[in-house]
Amino acid sequence: MAQIKVERRSMRPEEYIRLRFGWLKRHIYSYKYEIDTFLIKDARQVREMEYEFYDGGEFRPLKKGDMYFTPDGTAFIEADFDIPDCLMGKDYSFVLPTTAEMMVKANGKYIGGIDPNRDRIDISDYIKDRHVHIEIEGYNRSKPDDERNPDNRSKRGCRQIFEGGYIAVVNRKLQSLIYDIEALLDVAYSGCFNEDFRELIEKELNTALNYIDYDDVRDEDVTAAAEHIDKRIFSCDLYKGDGIVELVSYSHLDIAYYWRRIHSVQKNMRTVLIQLRLMDKYPDFRYAHTQAYTYETLEKYYPEVFEEMKERIAEGRFEPACAMYVEPDCNIPSAESLIRQCLYGQTYFREKFGITVDNAWLPDVFGNSWILPQILKKSGVNYFVSNKMSTWNDTNRFPHNNFIWKGIDGSKVYACVPPTHFNSWNMPSQIKENWDAFQDKDTLSHTFQMFGYGDGGSGATEEMVELMHRFDKLSVMPETKMTSGKDFLHDNFDGRDDLAVWDGEFYLEMHRGTFTSKAKLKDCNRRTEFGLRDAELVSVLRMRQGKEYPADEIRDIYKKLMVNQFHDIMPGSHITPVYRDALEDFEDSERRLAALMGNDGNYFNTLNFERKSFSFIPDEKGKHMRKGVKGRFVHTHATSLSRAETNEQKSVGIITADDFSADTPYYKIVFNPDGSIVSIYDKELCREWVKGEFNKLHIYYDMPGNYDAWDILPNYVEKELEVKIASPLEYKGFDGECAEYEVTLATEKSSWKRIIRLFADSRGIEVENLVDWNESHKLAKVNFGCNVLTREMLCDTSAGFIPRETHRNTSWQQARFETCMHRWCDMSETGGGMAIINENKYGVGGVNSEMSLSLLRATERPDPTADLGFHDFCYMIYPHGGSAADAGVNNISLEYNSPVIKADVEWSGADFAPLYLQAVKLSEDGRRIVYRLSEQNGARGTLKLDKKMQILNMLEDVEGEAQTVEYAPFEIITLGEEV
Amino acid sequence: MEKYLIEKILPCIQADGGHFEFVSCEDGIVNLTFRGECSKCDKLDRCCKWIEERIKTDLGEEVRITAARRKPWFQDK
Repeated sequence: MAQIKVERRSMRPEEYIRLRFGWLKRHIYSYKYEIDTFLIKDARQVREMEYEFYDGGEFRPLKKGDMYFTPDGTAFIEADFDIPDCLMGKDYSFVLPTTAEMMVKANGKYIGGIDPNRDRIDISDYIKDRHVHIEIEGYNRSKPDDERNPDNRSKRGCRQIFEGGYIAVVNRKLQSLIYDIEALLDVAYSGCFNEDFRELIEKELNTALNYIDYDDVRDEDVTAAAEHIDKRIFSCDLYKGDGIVELVSYSHLDIAYYWRRIHSVQKNMRTVLIQLRLMDKYPDFRYAHTQAYTYETLEKYYPEVFEEMKERIAEGRFEPACAMYVEPDCNIPSAESLIRQCLYGQTYFREKFGITVDNAWLPDVFGNSWILPQILKKSGVNYFVSNKMSTWNDTNRFPHNNFIWKGIDGSKVYACVPPTHFNSWNMPSQIKENWDAFQDKDTLSHTFQMFGYGDGGSGATEEMVELMHRFDKLSVMPETKMTSGKDFLHDNFDGRDDLAVWDGEFYLEMHRGTFTSKAKLKDCNRRTEFGLRDAELVSVLRMRQGKEYPADEIRDIYKKLMVNQFHDIMPGSHITPVYRDALEDFEDSERRLAALMGNDGNYFNTLNFERKSFSFIPDEKGKHMRKGVKGRFVHTHATSLSRAETNEQKSVGIITADDFSADTPYYKIVFNPDGSIVSIYDKELCREWVKGEFNKLHIYYDMPGNYDAWDILPNYVEKELEVKIASPLEYKGFDGECAEYEVTLATEKSSWKRIIRLFADSRGIEVENLVDWNESHKLAKVNFGCNVLTREMLCDTSAGFIPRETHRNTSWQQARFETCMHRWCDMSETGGGMAIINENKYGVGGVNSEMSLSLLRATERPDPTADLGFHDFCYMIYPHGGSAADAGVNNISLEYNSPVIKADVEWSGADFAPLYLQAVKLSEDGRRIVYRLSEQNGARGTLKLDKKMQILNMLEDVEGEAQTVEYAPFEIITLGEEV
Repeated sequence: MEKYLIEKILPCIQADGGHFEFVSCEDGIVNLTFRGECSKCDKLDRCCKWIEERIKTDLGEEVRITAARRKPWFQDK
């Protein structure tokens, strides 16, 4: 007889327990007084702490049941009332259920925060008078997803219904019972604890809840229920858990994401305030808070709360974590930017709190460049913390949690990749899952768990702390310990050189689209990074001529760059206004940098090596239009850090060409009508460079799903949009230096003009792309099939190159189908290779002997308008003899990204060749000139200086002095010279 | 009307992750296609009412908003 499934429709024991638990929670307040004097006025925040008020900014009454909050709105709410006589001298709370985020002041003092995770503030300790004046600043910007309460979307929205505000007395005995039951329900029904113990909890909880009369909840019944739980469950230690999980309270705060940067000022303030109030209540509670930038905004706009926080920092309970200025993306920023993240972060923490933070706390960052360990180590940081690789990889489980990370130059830092997510609400099951997922049990007995609501701040709640105080009573749980990030890292890592070593980048097997999304931000980033380099260098040279060094202005522009390198801004994973704000910041920075630099005088080569490639010089009489600027291409004659001659000189070589082929001093080239290249025959090296598709534009269907702006899936190659030739390749002529071709391609919605440039005096072949981009869910790539036998692609990291395997032998290579590069990528074999040099692209794929540069995406979430519109960008194809290092690809890519500038300055002293002069600046204390040198080619050597110089770390502390400096492959060296 | 909606109202909607496209305005009916977070918001009628109120206050016109929704394909279940 067939088995017929029994479908149960009657109430299960679990449902009956949860039902009664819900009834019980309704009796949490033993007294409730409704405040009926609320007034409200609506505004829209337009800048940091600046508001435009609706309807004249007049207060109007706010009654229970009224609609409040507006899209992108800030609501200012006030109320005046007297504490009822019966509450004088008692503990009472302010209660306001809402899904908005609110900071609350009573009688002029910030008393706490309210948000979707908490609806009451215990206020009696903060109020001395009977009369209370409440002031609330609320803003309705919750993040779109709520992991704990996925169903509460129904309550949220830009417009909400006011549910009233109250003064209430909490029934503390009942509240305690509720926390007991909350912890036990999680143990009983999460499925990760011993089954027998879970059955015991269900049975005894049922009995305990039977003590209560839900129509008339009496204190004695609550006591009886609590005693029953104590006696039958908490006293039972038959079921033993294992492991030790150390708990650190933290709140993740995205400076911008589904909200603008201007709003994170209040999000941060609310978060800090809430944690300070928890510290008032719970003497054992500690909290870790990251990002010097958020401390700066707190200090600037909420000085009284900042002072209170400072006291807690001095007590060691409020922990400044993460050495960096923000939690930046760690793929796209250059080495110098990451150094500045540490420098500006640490300088702030030193100045304000007298501490040097020794960890880099980056829980949510989308992978981390191999250059980081060296930068951290030289910035006073010994410990790296990030959750992302353990919890978000889509293919391979990252094999360690507590280990040693070895960087590109061999520097080592301790690394902690906690086994579970950084947003958690301290449930027993989350702690058990953390221990179960911990992979280094053979070497360490302690693992690390962050708890607290986050993304938009908020942090720990009273419930989380109360639950933590009950963990000791649950023998089935791992042992837990509330600690600080610093204590956990020191206690568990110091001296542990026996830990496993990860030697390589932290490649996140997810969010691969963030190297390409929001192309204009990437362009702004690269230009600003090089613009700042030039501005600092020129400012130092002018200072030597007696002018003032614009330290504040440069620092301000740098800090703006730092903020926009935040891990939901630069990667492109944000809403429309965040993008607009970032572009405005970059435009402002560009204007200010231009003002700093001036545009007078002769051309100057800011690079510390001789230029060998071409330059594009703006010139109204020029015959070429490049990126909207009229000018001419010239072979620049400029030695290291010197005046550059850019006079028009005819090159010796000539180019002869027609619509399909060209003969240059270097190559014989055959084109397809779409601008792709059939053949590049190298006349110098006597070899063919092309095998397969080369310079071929592909527009793929790019459908990654919910993580639209973040992800590219490997199936993107499966389906393509047809790219038609609107106007076939046409030879436009040769002016003695440069020959140009033009072709226009098109889809139904977009047009794509390509200008291909060949040079008489350079091996480079430049392709400019002028794109009217109106696609949806597409990824544009250009493929370069190289006649090179290789199993690896080299990718620039901005301070050295990383080799990445291009075969697909194991799941680790298969997962790396899209990776991050900086100025160039390269495939070489003995004798020669092909480099693709870019000025603003970061995403690249490498399969066998083919590289594919990612050019543009068209995603819709979180920003439905992402990347739509006009784009104009260039890349350069650069075939070369020898290896990339031998061919000087690094220097050529630097020339390509750092054109000659106009400035009448002179360099004196060493040029530090062959190291790259990555930065020259006045030190933050104004006492010395700082020179940052970067070994980029993987070479070892000795730098002989003409005088003794100071050896500095990256925080500009003097560590010694030397006249001869040994350098190792990929080392970054900082030297100082007294002003 | 279109200019007002795009310049004054759209930035507010976008700042909460929403978006709309202006379709038409005829006989007191303003047709908008909502995208982004608005496309799946079950409180959209409240925002439409607020837009109507803003138009009345700022432009002195009484209109009715008709909202269509265009969810991203991956949320269109």
